[in-house]
Amino acid sequence: MTLDGIRVLEVAAGVAGPYAALRLADLGASVIKVETGEAGDWTRGAAPSLPDGTGALFAALNRGKRSVALGAAPAGWRDVLAALAAQSDVVIIDLPAAVLAASGLDALLAAPGTRVVARLTPFGENGPLAEAEGGELQAQAMAGYTRYLGRHGEPPLRLGADVAGMGTGIFTVQAILAALLERAASGQGQVVSLSQLGSLLALKTVHLAAQSEPDAWGGPRLGGANDPPEHGWRTADRPITFAFGGSLGAEGRPGWMAFIEEMGLQPLAGDPRFDKAGRNSTGLGPDARRLKPDYEARFRDLPAATIIDSVRRHGGIGAAYNTPAEALAHEQTRRLGVVQEAAPGVVQEAGPGVVQEAGPGVVQEAGPGQAALRFPARFSALRPRLAAGVPALGADGIAVLREVAGFDDDRIGRLLAEGILGGPREQGGPVTL
Amino acid sequence: MPGPLAGLKVVDVSIMAAGPWVGALLGMMGAEVIKIEPPAGDGTRWVAPRQRGMGTNFICLNVNKRDVVLDFKAEDDLRVTRELVRQADVFIQNFRGGVIERLGLGWDILKAINPRLVYCSISGFGEEGPLRSAGSADYVMQAFSGFAALNGPEGREVPEQYRFSGFIDLTTSSVAVEAVLAALLHRLQTGEGQKIELSMLEAALEMQATRLAELLLAGAPPGPMGSRSAILAPDRAFRTLDREVFVTTRTEAEFRALARAVNLPALAEDARFATNALRVSNAAALDAALEPAFAACSAVWWLRRLRRDGIPAAIAHEFETFRHHAQVTANGMIAELHTPDWGQVAVAGLPWRFGRTPGAVVPPARPGEDTEAICGPLRRGQVAPPAERAS
Repeated sequence: MTLDGIRVLEVAAGVAGPYAALRLADLGASVIKVETGEAGDWTRGAAPSLPDGTGALFAALNRGKRSVALGAAPAGWRDVLAALAAQSDVVIIDLPAAVLAASGLDALLAAPGTRVVARLTPFGENGPLAEAEGGELQAQAMAGYTRYLGRHGEPPLRLGADVAGMGTGIFTVQAILAALLERAASGQGQVVSLSQLGSLLALKTVHLAAQSEPDAWGGPRLGGANDPPEHGWRTADRPITFAFGGSLGAEGRPGWMAFIEEMGLQPLAGDPRFDKAGRNSTGLGPDARRLKPDYEARFRDLPAATIIDSVRRHGGIGAAYNTPAEALAHEQTRRLGVVQEAAPGVVQEAGPGVVQEAGPGVVQEAGPGQAALRFPARFSALRPRLAAGVPALGADGIAVLREVAGFDDDRIGRLLAEGILGGPREQGGPVTL
Repeated sequence: MPGPLAGLKVVDVSIMAAGPWVGALLGMMGAEVIKIEPPAGDGTRWVAPRQRGMGTNFICLNVNKRDVVLDFKAEDDLRVTRELVRQADVFIQNFRGGVIERLGLGWDILKAINPRLVYCSISGFGEEGPLRSAGSADYVMQAFSGFAALNGPEGREVPEQYRFSGFIDLTTSSVAVEAVLAALLHRLQTGEGQKIELSMLEAALEMQATRLAELLLAGAPPGPMGSRSAILAPDRAFRTLDREVFVTTRTEAEFRALARAVNLPALAEDARFATNALRVSNAAALDAALEPAFAACSAVWWLRRLRRDGIPAAIAHEFETFRHHAQVTANGMIAELHTPDWGQVAVAGLPWRFGRTPGAVVPPARPGEDTEAICGPLRRGQVAPPAERAS
């Protein structure tokens, strides 16, 4: 597969770094996850958890990796990290600057050689907050994301999705793949830096551009942060959102006219508050908000599905609001095979539109696996796998140091004795070779 | 300075948002991107707000591109387009289902012209299934995918949109770039191009991956939680003397440091708060202890105090305060473009900083600016690759 033979060393915790390594694993890379600190990656202890106590977040982002646990003092990590980095094509690091220096990884950043090194920070590696700790919530607040939710004067809201962690993770996958492409031509690696704040500001380019020139503020983005919350239109069961666009004919916008007729809303066609386009009263914006009650007076007697079906038949766009669970259960999502079973040897399914050209399809070997989101695109030739198996903390330390770092048993024994190398906790007591 | 994708050629026939930002990102990485607009123009030129006549969405979503106008329904323009595709590495389209095939630019035709082509096809809901023909938009997919249902005050199950951000559009573009680069690596090994299908639906679900894990692996359906998260406690906004401070602890060390910082050392010894899982279960008791403490000082005081002890903390910013923040400028997170016709526009800076091959953000071309330079020679039967635009 695409990244067969590529070794990734992940010295990261949380969402962004582990997500990036996960998708590289799905593309064929072999990932060694180094976990540091008192309990390894903090997502092991995140709520809610699997029956064995492992955080669901950890299990989702660390499929198919081997875990090496390193103990208390970063100075002790030097030899292990240097040896593993020397055998890696890609290194993903999210450690603070002080720990980078203490662990010797600063040398890798200064001279990456043929390695692609992704360095992740909360707020960027330069500037007054280069050393500051930060997570999802801090990045959202600082990037102004909380401003476009809720109402001023009421308690602030966050985006429920982990947009900073996931956004940074997606950009990290891009950066590593691009640097690997470049390396194939130049033979050289390089360091690439990413941050949660930078990622969120990049994903805000529409807001940034819209606010560049106050004299130009207009349209639905005029109010922006000062607009009321956007909840869609209420119906008999669940809220919907919808819009009509398209070309305007002499008698109005044909789709919208037919739609309001079908809904029993003909009076709107002659209502001076609605232009004959209908467009201003659908979608987003101040007119749509103002005229919402006129639609809702009829919508409250109709199920959302009936209204949305009519919207789509008449050329509009729209959807009922789903919960995430409903979105996953929807026939459309199931047809795309977004959720699949990750188990050893399982390869991502492809859709009928592309599968004819593919080689072997799904290879089911040993089950039962774990429900997982497959690589988020489908390819006519490439078949990502669903890397499987969630490692216990430090489960692979001895094997990795022996096979990858080339350490002999005496050396590994000393690392264990000094508490530098941690072993699997389940075994209890001292780890023996 | 060239980016990591210098030498890569991209033909982008997409319009609006989810497609165009794919080419913009590839261009920011150094690829040469040719945007082909229909004679009617990409609709984002007219989407408000407009700055000196040009939609700001057009400007920010089409950076790092040359721009030609071609009519696929005209035989000669179609021929020129296919010639550009013959010379290209990547093709990007996001027409509604079936349209690109009717225009004669479907994968089956283009792969015959250029078997090494990576053909990136973006849709709302996917290219099969009951909604394959349904159109979409950012706010439609926020609703359908469950993204909006994760936002809102705790306990009030009314889904709420992230307003006017194009966030799912941009997420879709970002995921598409992951896939395009993976396909280019695949081509490096096999020599073969391929088709990529990506929907806004798949991208919106990917962005929710961490929350979907709660459902899929722990059976806990995620919902709106105000400023709080499901995974950690404390991890929320606290009211202070003035505005809110946003505080998170991820490890036991951070929680112990917080207990000291708020001068409530007993919290670190309290059995109810001994682990993160217990703190999440006993969040109400934890909040009852922390809220009065935070209310006693100002947000900035807390910010300084918590940062000094290595505890994640922030205050909320808005455009005018983060735009000039030393942290944002020191890392080039916002690019201030000086455009010849539309004035100064703030757009996304490079989300990745490549040490050896940095790339840059370049203002978009004027619509149709490069039509003659790029297409003229092809119309006259010359098939030399288009010259690089002088930087």
